[in-house]
Amino acid sequence: MNGAAVIVALRVAATPQAAFAAFTRDIGCWWKSHPLFQLSRKGDGVLRFDPAGPGGRLVTRFADGEEWEIGPVRHWLPGERLAFGWRLPSFAAGQGTEVDVRFEAVGAETRVTVEHRGWDAIPQQHVARHGFELMLFQRRLGEHWRALLKAMDERL
Amino acid sequence: MSAAVDRTLAALADPVRRRAVELLGQRPRSAGELASDLGLAPPAMSRHLRALKQGGLVEDGHPHFDARVRIYSLKHGATDGLKQWLAETEALWTHQLAAFKAHVEGGE
Repeated sequence: MNGAAVIVALRVAATPQAAFAAFTRDIGCWWKSHPLFQLSRKGDGVLRFDPAGPGGRLVTRFADGEEWEIGPVRHWLPGERLAFGWRLPSFAAGQGTEVDVRFEAVGAETRVTVEHRGWDAIPQQHVARHGFELMLFQRRLGEHWRALLKAMDERL
Repeated sequence: MSAAVDRTLAALADPVRRRAVELLGQRPRSAGELASDLGLAPPAMSRHLRALKQGGLVEDGHPHFDARVRIYSLKHGATDGLKQWLAETEALWTHQLAAFKAHVEGGE
């Protein structure tokens, strides 16, 4: 856990280009519904990038034929970076989160890093006015939780 | 991701408010005390405290001996929703990336 963003990374035995291609082209095959956190009450459906490429969207299609747009693609840099909005049916109106996936060569393998942030509630002008760095914010927020929990533990 | 989590994040989007939460993590304080600790004018301090209250991070009450004084303290469970979202999101991506790795390396 890193502040209010989640970062998960692992290495795969493939080149960044191949990993990016498999991630985007085959998401409907490799995405496995998590038993505890389904994307919707109807399960996860079958995900796809539609159209594949810049300006596309991440969409899922449920068994009943209904489709849900998870989010627009913000960055599509094959072999490097993929970023898209992430909004589930359970989210309140106007709420959204962002997912950023990076592909980096590590020897013959590729490190795939997923960063999932939930900042949309923070008005951009507000961010600009205070000019805090996102990473700093996350680190500070992490410190906060530790401090908060410590304070609460001491009180209990 | 609930509206409560959104509000918590928005409340913590400001360095002054993060510092206020830190101070309240040590012990409850009055608005005046917080303002002088943070070097803020009282009106600015009240605006920040209002945002923190709306974000569900702090609560206020009166000490027994003086109903005119408002004491602010951290709210129990203030960041529970946020922590739950983080834990679930982390579990989700850990699970999905493992599935992705199996797909890429298994040549499915």
